[in-house]
Amino acid sequence: MDCNEARRLLEACVDGEMELTRQLDLEAHVAGCTACRKAAEAATKIRDAIHMNMPVYKAPPDLKSKVQAVLRKECGSEIGWIPAIRRPLLCAAAVLAVCGLSVAAWMKASSDKERALIAQAVWDHSHSLLVDHLLDVTASDQHVVKAWFTGKLGYGPPVVDLSEAGYKLAGGRLDILENRQVPAIVYRHQDHVINEFVWPAANRAIDFDVQSHQGYSMCGWNKSGFNYLIVSDLSQADTEEFEDHVRERTE
Amino acid sequence: MRQRRPDKLTADDRRCFEELFLPHLDAAYNLARWITRRDQDARDVVQNAYVNAFKGFRGFSGGAKSRAWFLTIVRNAAYDWIKKHAPEEKLIPYEEEKHGDIISINDFNDELASEERREQLKRALERLPLELREVIILYELERLTYKELAVALGVPIGTVMSRLSRARRRLQEGAEYGT
Repeated sequence: MDCNEARRLLEACVDGEMELTRQLDLEAHVAGCTACRKAAEAATKIRDAIHMNMPVYKAPPDLKSKVQAVLRKECGSEIGWIPAIRRPLLCAAAVLAVCGLSVAAWMKASSDKERALIAQAVWDHSHSLLVDHLLDVTASDQHVVKAWFTGKLGYGPPVVDLSEAGYKLAGGRLDILENRQVPAIVYRHQDHVINEFVWPAANRAIDFDVQSHQGYSMCGWNKSGFNYLIVSDLSQADTEEFEDHVRERTE
Repeated sequence: MRQRRPDKLTADDRRCFEELFLPHLDAAYNLARWITRRDQDARDVVQNAYVNAFKGFRGFSGGAKSRAWFLTIVRNAAYDWIKKHAPEEKLIPYEEEKHGDIISINDFNDELASEERREQLKRALERLPLELREVIILYELERLTYKELAVALGVPIGTVMSRLSRARRRLQEGAEYGT
């Protein structure tokens, strides 16, 4: 792969949108090319900066009932009928003034670093579901999953069997947190997918209570030299319960 | 799927539809708001989009792609709205920039408080031309994949990549100098 092609693909790579084989080619090129490595770092920085600071508008509280009302109307009528949704201009000015910009409440994480970490973990989680890249290794045996990570990273994170508690081990994959490859261990519970990121707490130990971020529940703690970060669409109570199960079973 | 009368959607359909798509209300409003830039317009677009999606509900095959399918409808409703009410916003084609340049490494200013950083980004985002604004919103906020973006925008994946890249570069420049 030459620099031109590498540059063309860098952002897709940073976005986690590349097929594994091409990604490996690109990584091999970037490893040996200072200019492309700098470009990759820059692309990551821009993506993260945008990612962390993106403003979000929330739907005004009364919009849901308005939508339900137009849908009810729609039901009783012929398919081809188009409702005339009129725009009360006078109201608009008032509504605008009152409504303003409601930037989504950002979480109360203790530091920017932690916030970045959490945002990245949520991103990894939602992305793992979207791009069908949930699992690099599929196995319900915790020893197999652990051995797979050891082969990839040189260390095996604690992988626990939670089947008795109703959480089925699905497998694992390598993901990125704070610009490092970290193991993501995946459990399933009913229709829910749980991503458990586990990595050595050598640089920084994390610890934060269960909280909700962009519709996902998450919590983080450290134990015996490893950081644990859970992201899932479980309720906050269930996330706490999951944390208890994992804590109990790790040494 | 269960049998339905040929030309009417029933109250059951509506309940089923609402269960599937009302959870995406915030996403729909956010997208419509960023495309139209105004609260009242976004509300109208969202209501139109729900009606359109409801009518097309029968053509919807279900599954995990409901969000992307629905957001595509929201986006189309927003474009219809623009055509009708704000034709001056109509897509001005932007010159394709050449690719492969090194992106400047100047980052967003780290010293700035994050509130301020977000405010800068918001202003830069508002100034983006529509075709770049929508791609960054759909990708960053609505989490569509490249492939879903290509379908939603009706363009090849290569165009998705180059628009996303241009959008980011402009946001970066905007947040650095243009506030």
